Amino acid sequence: MYGWIWRHLPGNAWVKALISIMLVVAVVYALFQYVFPWAEPLLPFNDVTVDNQ
Amino acid sequence: MSVRVIVRTFSELCITAGTVIVLFVVYVLFWTGVRADREMGDQIDDLHDQWAQGTAAAPSPGASTTATPAPYRSGRPFAVMYIPRLGFTWNKPVLEGTATGTLKKGLGHYAGSARLGQTGNFSVAGHRRTYGDPFKDFPQIRRGDAVVLTDGTTWFTYRVDKGPYKTVPSDVEVIDAVPRKSGYTRPGRYLTLTTCDPEWGHSHRLIVWAHLDSTQPVEAGEPKALRR
Repeated sequence: MYGWIWRHLPGNAWVKALISIMLVVAVVYALFQYVFPWAEPLLPFNDVTVDNQ
Repeated sequence: MSVRVIVRTFSELCITAGTVIVLFVVYVLFWTGVRADREMGDQIDDLHDQWAQGTAAAPSPGASTTATPAPYRSGRPFAVMYIPRLGFTWNKPVLEGTATGTLKKGLGHYAGSARLGQTGNFSVAGHRRTYGDPFKDFPQIRRGDAVVLTDGTTWFTYRVDKGPYKTVPSDVEVIDAVPRKSGYTRPGRYLTLTTCDPEWGHSHRLIVWAHLDSTQPVEAGEPKALRR
């Protein structure tokens, strides 16, 4: 999978490495900004009221 | 497709999943706190700005400083809470409502429970863990501890009578106007705090009850409970 991505990135090794880092940062940003805020309320830490709201 | 490729792809997927889980733990334990602390600071700054404008801002719907008070607006802050037992610098905004999104920005006032300082039961919920851990040290609260709130015009000092009392999530009687198990027998100006128990679970709730001990206008300075 990662080998396939690496082979399909343009440029020489340095350019590929740079693009890879940018991709990783973009994925982590998307996780923290969109995926985790969606997933976190599914955990029990939000249940602090007595009426199960 | 060779077995080698399949095994390698499977391994890579496992490593990826593991990394995502570790990142999620970092998010829950650390990042929610960073975000919540910033958010709560903003809420308190908003309140202080609002209060600084004073009566000049009274006609605007956001002001809670009028003589005939406007109803609390859902999801908006209206008071700041101080509990010296949880730390001398511990102060959190109190917002109207207990929706998930509201509790990310501070403590939540149960909609429908009494207003601050009024007859009835002023009930507030807060996170035990995650989102800044506001009620992390909740079990350390003892009888006689002060819970101080201000709405910009008045300081309200509540004294804890009972707690922490452990109950089940469906026990809605704890936020009744006269909560049965608190030992109160007649109507009064009460305060109830709720959070979850155990620390990382949701099987139970911890409750603290307090009664209004004294009030003083903000011009008179901080109440004794906050001085040291």
